[in-house]
Amino acid sequence: MLLDFDKLGGLKPFLIGLTALVCLFLILPIVFIAALSFGSSQWLIFPPPSWTFKWYQMLFADPRWLWSALTSLKIAAIVTVLSVILGFLAALGLNRGSFVGREALRALFLTPMILPVVVLAVALYALFLQLGLAGTTVGFIIAHLLIALPFSIISIGNALEGFDKSIEDAAILCGASPWEARIRVTVPAVSHGIFAAAIFSFLASWDEVVLAIFMASPTLQTLPVKIWATLRQDLTPVIAAASTILIAFTILLMVLAALFRKGRKA
Amino acid sequence: MVLSATTDGGERKIRRNGSFGYVVPALLLIAFFFIIPVLMLLMRSVLEPTPGLQNYRELLGSTTYLRVFLNTFTVAGLVTVVAVVIGFPVAWLLAIMPDKWSRLVMAIIVLSMWTNLLARTYAWMVLLQRTGVVNKMLINLGIIDKPLALVNNLVGVTIGMTYIMLPFVILPLIGILKSIDPAILRAAALCGANKRQCFTRVLLPLSLPGIASGALMVFVMSLGYYVTPALLGGTSNMMLAELVAQFVQSLVNWGMGGAAALVLLLVTMVLYAIQLKFLNPNRAR
Amino acid sequence: MKKQTIIAVLAATVAFAGQASAADMVFTSWGGTTQDAQKQHWADTFSTEGGVNVTQDGPTDYGKLKAMVESKNVAWDVVDVEGDYAVQAGNAGLLEKLDFSVIDKTKLDPRFVTDYSVGSFYYSFVIGCNKDAVDACPKSWADLFDLAKFPGKRTFYKWSAPGVIEAALLADGVAADKLYPLDLDRAFKKLDTIKSEIVWWDSGAQSQQLLASAEAPFGSFWNGRLTALAQTGVTVETSWTNNITAADALVVPKGTKNKEAAMKFIANATSDKAQAEFATMTGYAPINTGSPKLMDEDLRKTLPDQKAETQVNADMSYWAAHRDEIGTRWYAWQAK
Repeated sequence: MLLDFDKLGGLKPFLIGLTALVCLFLILPIVFIAALSFGSSQWLIFPPPSWTFKWYQMLFADPRWLWSALTSLKIAAIVTVLSVILGFLAALGLNRGSFVGREALRALFLTPMILPVVVLAVALYALFLQLGLAGTTVGFIIAHLLIALPFSIISIGNALEGFDKSIEDAAILCGASPWEARIRVTVPAVSHGIFAAAIFSFLASWDEVVLAIFMASPTLQTLPVKIWATLRQDLTPVIAAASTILIAFTILLMVLAALFRKGRKA
Repeated sequence: MVLSATTDGGERKIRRNGSFGYVVPALLLIAFFFIIPVLMLLMRSVLEPTPGLQNYRELLGSTTYLRVFLNTFTVAGLVTVVAVVIGFPVAWLLAIMPDKWSRLVMAIIVLSMWTNLLARTYAWMVLLQRTGVVNKMLINLGIIDKPLALVNNLVGVTIGMTYIMLPFVILPLIGILKSIDPAILRAAALCGANKRQCFTRVLLPLSLPGIASGALMVFVMSLGYYVTPALLGGTSNMMLAELVAQFVQSLVNWGMGGAAALVLLLVTMVLYAIQLKFLNPNRAR
Repeated sequence: MKKQTIIAVLAATVAFAGQASAADMVFTSWGGTTQDAQKQHWADTFSTEGGVNVTQDGPTDYGKLKAMVESKNVAWDVVDVEGDYAVQAGNAGLLEKLDFSVIDKTKLDPRFVTDYSVGSFYYSFVIGCNKDAVDACPKSWADLFDLAKFPGKRTFYKWSAPGVIEAALLADGVAADKLYPLDLDRAFKKLDTIKSEIVWWDSGAQSQQLLASAEAPFGSFWNGRLTALAQTGVTVETSWTNNITAADALVVPKGTKNKEAAMKFIANATSDKAQAEFATMTGYAPINTGSPKLMDEDLRKTLPDQKAETQVNADMSYWAAHRDEIGTRWYAWQAK
């Protein structure tokens, strides 16, 4: 009844209304950013005195935007893959194991999330200088992996808890090897957790600026660092233009995915 | 249960202990690149400027710094509660509504997250200003006559942080809610439970693991948050991460910065342990 | 259009600059158009004349700089930092002494020269006001601290640095030549009277946004930011009464591998021509006394060196000696 969309009764308008409001709340700044990217006011005054494409011209005239966005994308993608794999294994161990100190270990894996990131940045940077990892892509990935991993462990661990392990055992009884069972039975069953883990890990890296300032080098700059410096120095709507292009690109991908799904169904 | 009876007990035990191996890769990463460097830095809190505990004395002896600690936990708690209260109904609807619509809402959520955090925070700052769009609109609609103070205070931080944190509550919850068998609720209704009882006795308890993991992520993330509170909060709601950043980057006083970070870490760990003991009995097996 | 071409050229050079080789040196600054201008007028002219390639890095971070020097792995050769930090870091042993046989300091403004640093550019804290948003503009620091005469929000620089404390003391009636040593108790007491009406700006661009949107219709600003704001069509009134000077500085981190090139770079960056061109592009003031005569007449009028009558010089060595003490108190006071 409460989980039947058509039988919600009086709750239905309440839930739909609230969700609509939340959607509005989520979309408001994005629409605002898109509007600012066409406004002529450098100082983000809204409504702007007139409309213009000049911020887009400036964006395309400066290849550093594209370059830093690609760097961010590359690092975030690698971090996501590593974070999901390591996170899945760790969550599996924490969920299935009965070894001593399991809870302490679970807490330990959370600490990179709690520690103010600037402390981690200074500490890690000092170590990387010794190891020769400062300013390298590998160092950058390790730094972001540290803060992405807790998200994976929590999300996948949460999904594993709701998964009935006897199904995996059943697959093993039917002749599958333990790993075959895990990959073909367990992984699909916790796919929503893996999905959440992937999104959160990606964002943890994609949006991260404090570690990124320390890990950056002249040839390794990510988008948030570029945005951070530009915001503080110039506050130009070029940032809004860059964000708008990313949004447009994402919407395009989503529409394509929807069309692809439809095509497959038909 | 039936299956575990048929598998060999001894073999199973070995496999259980062997599962520690799965944790090893992550543990190695954390040990080498987190524990060692961070411990080395935190050592400075008792070594700089001179060996001793004076950094901690200064930190814990000052009402101002204690207030910063209090602010940190207040804001993190507030944001967690608001995000869960708003996020739960949204996740609930998303879990059961027709695919076509849930995909649209999901697209909106993912879009909001995908836009750069700094850009979003700045957008909120400008939107919420006295002379910003939100105040102008409310005045034009005749709802208020004087602009509201929506930014540089607790309201601004809560709005900005909730905005960022909502997806972290919604996404894990959807999965959990989807995995609940609707038949359980039907059964409860057949046994005479009214809607309210169905909610409080069945739906809510069953979705608790999802709520707990979302709330945990949001609370813990909020504790260490820096950019959003710095831009949307006033200095009198300063949170610990900002204080630490001032020590580490502006004053280059790593001793105090390390001390503040360590205290935050310890307090959070104690809270986490309490949470495990009292609020989440099925985990502390 | 001209600006766009410049940016395009700059960008192209950065994109194709590639990996820094051993003979190259790294210049680090705060990013944005300021660093673009520094690259164009200080680095690019230097690369062609001196045969050394200059790679740009940033943003400047004092934590990162300290970690580099401590671990003796210095990746930055010349860094643009705040003036008071430069003096403090020099005293703390984080910086190389500058070689004044390479850098000609006879033409540099002596206010911004120490053993470890020379000025990079300088500016004044002035009183700015959005004329369209208010009936009357504050003319003095005392006006800016007067809630009865000028009610409403006002904006000040958020970070602990020379400027706001001096303004508070001047507003409270301390004579300009009696500011140092700073009476912190008196300054914070004066600041307490307007604390509830202060909106802090944490970056130059934010101060411009606050003034342009009239979120804070007046406050204390870097003069160059107001000039730039006026150029975008905002009606800005600037009061130079008791303007307080402060500067960015160029420093060389201790243990750099390119010390010789770094000194030559600084010599070039502080030359009259490089300083004049940089000032023209950014609205900051040159620290080379020979530069103003190379600049456009109209632009010269907006520079702080033309407003010397009531000018107050922030005492950088006083600040360097008390930077930690003032800073700790400053942030604690803000959080109260």
